[in-house]
Amino acid sequence: MTRCRRTSGATPTTDDRRSRQADDASPLPPKWAARARRLAVSAEEAAADLVKLRRQARRSPLAAQRRRMGILFTLPVAALIGTLLLIPIGQTVYYSFTNWDGFTSQWIGFAAYRHLFQNPEFVTVLENNAVMVLAIPIAIALPLGVAFLLNAQLRGWKFFRSVFFLPTAVSWVVIAFVARRFFDPDKQGILRSLLDHTGLGFLHPNLLAHEHSALIAVMITFIWSVFGTNMIIFLAGMSTIDQEIYDAAKVDGAGSFMVMVKITFPLLKRFVQFAFVISLITAFSALFSLIIVMTNGGPGYGSTTLEFFIYEQAFTENNFGVGATAGVILFLLVFAVSMVQMRMLRSDE
Amino acid sequence: MSTITWAERRSLAVWRRRGSKVLVYVALLAVTVIMLYPFWLMGQASLRSLPQYYLGRGFSLTTWHALFAALPIGHEMLNSTLITLSSILVILAVSTTGGYALGTLRYRLSGLVFLVVLASMMVPVQSMIIPEYINLAHLGWINHYYGAIAVYSALGAPFATFLMTTYFRRLPEDVIEAALIDGVGYGAVFFRIMLPLAVPAIVTVAVLQFIQIWDDLLVGLLFLQTPANRTITVGLETIPAQHFQNFPMEMAGSLVSALPAVLVYLIFQRYLIRGLTMGMSK
Amino acid sequence: MRRIISGCAALAAIAVLSGSAFAAGGRSNGTVTLTLWHNYGTGGNAVATKNLVAAFEKQNRNIKINVVSQPGGNYFQLLQAAWIAHTAPDISVQWTGLFDTKYEKQLLNLKGYFTAAELNKIDGAKWASSNFNPAQGLLVIPLENQFYIGFYNKALFKKAGITSVPTDWSQLFATCSKLKAKGITPIVYGADPQAIGPNPYPYYDLSYIAAGLWSPSQLKGLYTGQTPWTTPALAQQISTWASMPKKGCTNSDVLTKTNILGAFMQGQAAMIIDGNWDTATLQKAMGSNVAPFLPPFTSNPQRGVVQYSGDGFAVSKQSSHQKEAVQFLKFLLTPTAQRIIAAAGLIPDVEGFKATNPLANQMLAFAKAGKVAYPMIDNVIQGDVVTTGTKQLDAALGGDISAAAALKSMKQTHDSLPADQRGNTYH
Repeated sequence: MTRCRRTSGATPTTDDRRSRQADDASPLPPKWAARARRLAVSAEEAAADLVKLRRQARRSPLAAQRRRMGILFTLPVAALIGTLLLIPIGQTVYYSFTNWDGFTSQWIGFAAYRHLFQNPEFVTVLENNAVMVLAIPIAIALPLGVAFLLNAQLRGWKFFRSVFFLPTAVSWVVIAFVARRFFDPDKQGILRSLLDHTGLGFLHPNLLAHEHSALIAVMITFIWSVFGTNMIIFLAGMSTIDQEIYDAAKVDGAGSFMVMVKITFPLLKRFVQFAFVISLITAFSALFSLIIVMTNGGPGYGSTTLEFFIYEQAFTENNFGVGATAGVILFLLVFAVSMVQMRMLRSDE
Repeated sequence: MSTITWAERRSLAVWRRRGSKVLVYVALLAVTVIMLYPFWLMGQASLRSLPQYYLGRGFSLTTWHALFAALPIGHEMLNSTLITLSSILVILAVSTTGGYALGTLRYRLSGLVFLVVLASMMVPVQSMIIPEYINLAHLGWINHYYGAIAVYSALGAPFATFLMTTYFRRLPEDVIEAALIDGVGYGAVFFRIMLPLAVPAIVTVAVLQFIQIWDDLLVGLLFLQTPANRTITVGLETIPAQHFQNFPMEMAGSLVSALPAVLVYLIFQRYLIRGLTMGMSK
Repeated sequence: MRRIISGCAALAAIAVLSGSAFAAGGRSNGTVTLTLWHNYGTGGNAVATKNLVAAFEKQNRNIKINVVSQPGGNYFQLLQAAWIAHTAPDISVQWTGLFDTKYEKQLLNLKGYFTAAELNKIDGAKWASSNFNPAQGLLVIPLENQFYIGFYNKALFKKAGITSVPTDWSQLFATCSKLKAKGITPIVYGADPQAIGPNPYPYYDLSYIAAGLWSPSQLKGLYTGQTPWTTPALAQQISTWASMPKKGCTNSDVLTKTNILGAFMQGQAAMIIDGNWDTATLQKAMGSNVAPFLPPFTSNPQRGVVQYSGDGFAVSKQSSHQKEAVQFLKFLLTPTAQRIIAAAGLIPDVEGFKATNPLANQMLAFAKAGKVAYPMIDNVIQGDVVTTGTKQLDAALGGDISAAAALKSMKQTHDSLPADQRGNTYH
């Protein structure tokens, strides 16, 4: 496999020197090493041309080919998403304005939305979702930290990396059972025994039994369960960072923490954005099985998220219209929060 | 000024580093225990028969025998494998090309397309699965493998494309430009340069999508309605009934279902390592 | 890597080529093939269904039935989706009460297929009929008789010096204190043994509370709203019921305890409120030490027993073999069928047949001794209200909210239903 040179903003001459050093040091097969060397040489020579090319970018045939190829390469994903996602989504938006039981629908316009907001249960549900957003930063920070630790490649890191990812393979139902056992206030509860053993037994957390704390238990479980996924995303992201930068930083005398904050994190911004959106979507629309086994949305409506509400309405009560309406609202929420987050973490690449 | 000698400062530093290393290991071990607990729970519960589960003691293999007698485990695992692998292939094909277009090539409309891809991830599946179902029913695609594969691919494509785009954007432009100067076209650049570079992201997408599709219940339930073409996840749902919960058998089933995902991850780790270490070394 | 990809592509090709539709029904050399869907999982009902189909096929050699076990959760969503796509089975398991009137448009009305005499033999036929009136036609032929019932541990009662089973609130609380004095949990509450979710199922209890307040036909008032959910008599009863944990009548972790059936079987608790579906398990583990009793959640001695046929089989209107499908339903009423049902551990629903389990026969004896048969209340009130009630009544039992607040929630849900779902006709 070819190995491309990774330099950010270095001048051509430095590139050239470094690439030659790289050839000597890298384990590339000879054919590719030769190619890399050729690339390096020709790149140095064409550096000036590149600058000229960039200026003529828009009108050159190369740019036209770039555009054509861009459209061509977009076609597969556009076709798939267009037919099998956007069409049903459009239908859902239509049905959100109707009373629909799966068989017949009856247009009622914006009354559908009004009716929903007048439902006190719905308002509670929205509040629950707002609280859930608070779990996302934690669901990102923890795996980020651990990914960074693993990146240091201490002895045994491969074992840890495997183990941390394993819960992702477990179904939500089992995770919910484990969570129930964890939060059980009885002697057999794991949290309770942990607290007893560390002398904190006077705290009697009974998160699952109270309307306002059940959601916290769900959030903790959620953070635990997306840990592996986010960690692997950050590890993949870290693979795009050049080792040279770390070496240079170490030469400059930067400690591990500094390296993490000043170098890794900024370069991973896009991946953090990605993980944020994915975690948000998971929290808002993939926790149904977890909630139904762990708390069934209760006590009361304490842990009923919007997604749970949608499932109940659409699939248990056969109010598919309400499910569609609430679904549109959920989409708008996720979209809004994602856009805000992306603006906040705006990376200047 | 500090009165610590140079030697003391050095040993302090060494000790601090060793101390912090110990802390790191302790933290990692603690997390390990937390992560492995579900497997222990599933294993322990599945080794009891139902009466033994109620009474809280005793171990036997009854539940495992009963599980394999109640469900065509092998056949359903095969169905799951077929459908999941096919869907992943489609998703990878669609997302790598899409990621290249939106992340590297970046033509004028690509920002909008990216936004649409992003947005299509945000509609909850419960809200739009019934219209999807009705559409495919009109086409006659219900109860066929390809119907399920189509839906899974469509549901997984936005996430995969999003990750690929993010990843491709971070890959440097100069290699492409060098290749272009050499006379290589954008198409060949994709196949010969970008795709090999994207292996870590491809493996990540494949592993994550594998688990998501394998564990999915709703789509499998609606689009594959007969036991002959059912996936294992849906099949396991036939164990509990309205008034009957066989907890040990459900745990046994969950363990069986979790194993392929674990295996896939452990196997593909090798490719992940290669991709990651190539990125980090020179 | 390339080899793996080509291997996958080959598999995918095989998948596409071989993924052909599976016959949903057909006719060949005069044999009619029917499809039957059930959500019975692996329990006794599944066994009964299998044996019934086998016996039926032996008697009717020109009819074959494909039995398909569908996942228990989402069963009705799947059925609904199948009706939409016209891939629905000929025969399907349906729940009775408002659960089948909901799907009335899809179910074949069996009026005209069964004589009045046949219908009379079925216990609780009205709950399986259109608008709960057998004259308007049956929708479902029940498979078995079921109970919501309490079980108690005879030895533990003796140990605490309890000589008679409690029949009202005051006797219950007296019983509770006697048990508590001996360190025995009086009634164990926790995650419903029948469900995978974490909640207690409050409708066992609510059915018996309702039995203490109203006659079976008066329950319609809850449906139409004539008897609002916040009515004072009910509020008072629910209040007393929700005070049980505080008074020490139950375990403390009513909302989170798991495996309560195990706790009862191991002798940690003296009473449990459940349904008849665990009868075989209890019988095997506790023998003659366990007996059924009527939950005394009333101010006057309990007069009702919740005896109700909760599910059975129905024919889809979309079926192209309606005649043959109805033949299977008719077969269910024959002695052969009833004996198969009893042998599988279920309680026969047709008059004149006994169950095989002595505990079950003890339950049947309540009605014979003059107790009034009540329906399961969650089958005769609207689904939305049932959903709200599960959450709110549980929260009340857990002490999080007051009984009045829980009932107010249920009333709100009821009042926001469209008019045709709380009118005079059961829909």
